Amino acid sequence: MNLKLSYPKGVSESDVCFALPFDIDKKASSASGHLTATREVIRVYMDDLLCKEYRIEDISEIEVQQLVGCSMLCARDNSGRWECVCAFSQKYFLRYAEVAKILDYYIKTGIFTENSDEDEPTCPRCGARLKGGSECMFCRSKKGVFIKMIKRLKPYRALFIMSLISTFILYAADVIGPMLQRVLIDELIVPKNENWALFLKVSLCILSINLATIVFRVLQSYGNTKISTAYGRDLRRDIFNKTQELSMSNVAKRTPGELINRVSSDAGVLQDFVTRQGKDMIFQIVALIALLIIMFVTNWRLALIVVIPLPLAAYLSFKSFNIISIRYGRVWRFRCKASELLHDVLHGIRVVKNYGNEDREIKAYETASKNQAEATKNADIIWFLVQPPIRYLFSIGEYCALLFGGLMILGDSMQLGELVQFTAYVYMLYGPIQWLTMLPRVLANTFVSAGKVFEVLEERNDVSDREGAKDVEIEGNISFDNVYFGYKAYNPVLKGVSLDIKKGEMIGIVGHSGAGKSTLINLIMRLYEPTGGTITIDGTDIRDISQDSLRSQVGVVLQETFLFNGTVLDNIRYAKPDATFEEVVQAAKIANCHDFIVRMPEGYNTTVGERGYSISGGERQRIAIARAILHDPKVLILDEATASLDTQTEKMIQDALGKLISGRTTIAIAHRLSTLANADRLIVLDHGRVAEIGSHAELLAKKGIYYNLVMAQRQTAKLAPAKAE
Amino acid sequence: MKQNYEQTFETDTLLILAPEKLSFSRDASGFLNLEYGSEKYERVTLTRLVPYMDTEKYISVNYNKEHDEWTEIGVIADIALLPERQAETVREYLSFKYYIPIITKINKITDNRMGYLFLEAETTAGEKKIAVNDWWHNFKVISGTSLSVTDADGNRYSVPEIEKLDKASLKKLQLFI
Repeated sequence: MNLKLSYPKGVSESDVCFALPFDIDKKASSASGHLTATREVIRVYMDDLLCKEYRIEDISEIEVQQLVGCSMLCARDNSGRWECVCAFSQKYFLRYAEVAKILDYYIKTGIFTENSDEDEPTCPRCGARLKGGSECMFCRSKKGVFIKMIKRLKPYRALFIMSLISTFILYAADVIGPMLQRVLIDELIVPKNENWALFLKVSLCILSINLATIVFRVLQSYGNTKISTAYGRDLRRDIFNKTQELSMSNVAKRTPGELINRVSSDAGVLQDFVTRQGKDMIFQIVALIALLIIMFVTNWRLALIVVIPLPLAAYLSFKSFNIISIRYGRVWRFRCKASELLHDVLHGIRVVKNYGNEDREIKAYETASKNQAEATKNADIIWFLVQPPIRYLFSIGEYCALLFGGLMILGDSMQLGELVQFTAYVYMLYGPIQWLTMLPRVLANTFVSAGKVFEVLEERNDVSDREGAKDVEIEGNISFDNVYFGYKAYNPVLKGVSLDIKKGEMIGIVGHSGAGKSTLINLIMRLYEPTGGTITIDGTDIRDISQDSLRSQVGVVLQETFLFNGTVLDNIRYAKPDATFEEVVQAAKIANCHDFIVRMPEGYNTTVGERGYSISGGERQRIAIARAILHDPKVLILDEATASLDTQTEKMIQDALGKLISGRTTIAIAHRLSTLANADRLIVLDHGRVAEIGSHAELLAKKGIYYNLVMAQRQTAKLAPAKAE
Repeated sequence: MKQNYEQTFETDTLLILAPEKLSFSRDASGFLNLEYGSEKYERVTLTRLVPYMDTEKYISVNYNKEHDEWTEIGVIADIALLPERQAETVREYLSFKYYIPIITKINKITDNRMGYLFLEAETTAGEKKIAVNDWWHNFKVISGTSLSVTDADGNRYSVPEIEKLDKASLKKLQLFI
């Protein structure tokens, strides 16, 4: 990342380590300033004049704070007092964040990294941020995307060529039709020629063409259907596989809805383009050229008359299409809003009824429907006003052909059959032209979808197995050595965490919300990669252990248990698909869930999940524990596993967990500190750092953060019954 | 026991700060300090509780206590009720925290059909060419009256009352909202 963007007057590149401009002053007015930094001093310039200096040795911490619409670089001096060094708009945010990260690391460790490799990828051509994608949305080569789409057709090229040839043959049959009509009219009907042999020949030709048309139409449809389904299937499969392979940090960049859209809708657009519109495009262009050649060969004067109004008509059609498409885009947005509202209200119908807000929702939906209807009406009005004149312009050529053709017949320079053939071609000419006027829109839509699809398919995985990563049999000793991590690199959640967890130990992790507890376990499961430091399991760097091997030996029970649509049996077996029924029941018994499963009439075949049998939170949790037991992990992670349950259910689950954790390295996170009473050691995290380590008794005696947390919870527990009274 | 209940209820009430007791000052560090009666607070932050409905009313005043524990001191009901210089300090701070230039005129809007919307507009921070990606989410009408725009870099812009834009701007805008 370029951290020397511009310099104040009198400062050159060799004088400083970093030099960045800033554009807002502390009163939120536009400003022109610079910030420079060396290993000794940070200097702030306004209009090229030095206005403030900060000595690095006087600073204890430096960070970037994001406000609403702008951000600021803040420094804390050795007495703990914060100061805003400068403010800037968001376009400089990442660069300042990088400077803050490097300087902060330098202040704390004395190690100065001139520029980190933590680079926000930008487009080499326009400099825009790529935001996780592989290509710039502005500069993406359409040709490149097009080639990638075509390349995916390779396995079906024989079918594609067959389908394309069939389409051309069918079109050729359409072109031959008017030629035969011309022979009939000019050779037989007009001269009243009773040449039955010729009549039979022409009739046979028409019949054969019709028969051939049927055959080629079947071939064309077969090819189209086959390619369409296979192309769509392959594409959806590849996108889905990629989403499964990507790390959590990759996946978290997009909402589930967005990913679903890419798998279903965007893949559908590409499928449609390659198998229908793309083929049509080749066909229509060739058809247009072929028709024009035939028309000019048949009668160049008449062809010229027909062609003259076409460029104007095509231009107007293209322009009107732009005007109309914006309006239909608006209709689409209003339709989406109405459907979102419908989804929301029906999803929360219970809340609506509880609060008696049916009338309010009816009115809201009426407004949304009205907006949609209004937008549709406006778009339709424009469409109906614009389309007839354009159609008329297109058909002028036809009238001209008839008029001048008629005159030519009267002047004996043309025959009736020739005119009939010619007007048929004029009519056929409009199809390709009108289609081609819509091509820019079709291409634009396709490239948007193609861009989104290839962005996922070509995304670099943030967490991938190192070369030579092995399957390792884990014992359960875990070490963190000076680990730094932030979901955004400039905003660290864990800061220099070092700790050792021994095999078979039960560790409780406590701390305020946002202290980094869940982040810590996400790193153990290698859902994310640390930005600094190392994590080892039994002395092996976690990156040298294959992800499959690691995750197959780490079990997790989360606060929000997710059950897939399927039976209880399927859900427990999810951890070990080849488990026998006996093993499943054993796990269910250990997890204290066998009893409630038996009480359901369909037992282990009861369908649960989104659309299944309604079971309570505690029951879901126990199924999750059974799943974890069946998994038989060497390391067990419990992330607020009992947080949302009542005391009685919690007791049952604690019993189940007690059986599960024996002999395994267990790391448990819990807000309710009583849950961690059995922990061998407690690790207290505070603002991403390890603040305290020790047993419950040791930490209470220390009277630090843990002591305060325990006291605060006791106070709340006392207040709760009082409030109830 | 009744007393306990009342105590709990008391802390749940919206605590409106007495305008005459408030004394804000912004020091050289750029942060805001507050004296409220006999209490002194350093590095307080202000938050607009209803930024889209009213930028002048219901301003939460808060600070970080020991152990960085976020604590609300109370709420300013209306900036206009503060003495003039105090109001000025508060407005200055808020305009810095909520740096959202207002769009006053729209010269051109184009959809590049690749997921981006481009606005050429006059704003309170000068003329801007704004590129909005994923504009379904980043170019949205709030509560039917105001427009919120977030550009590709994360900068924010707004139109507080859409209907008050000039006719030509409104006509261009209406096709995209």
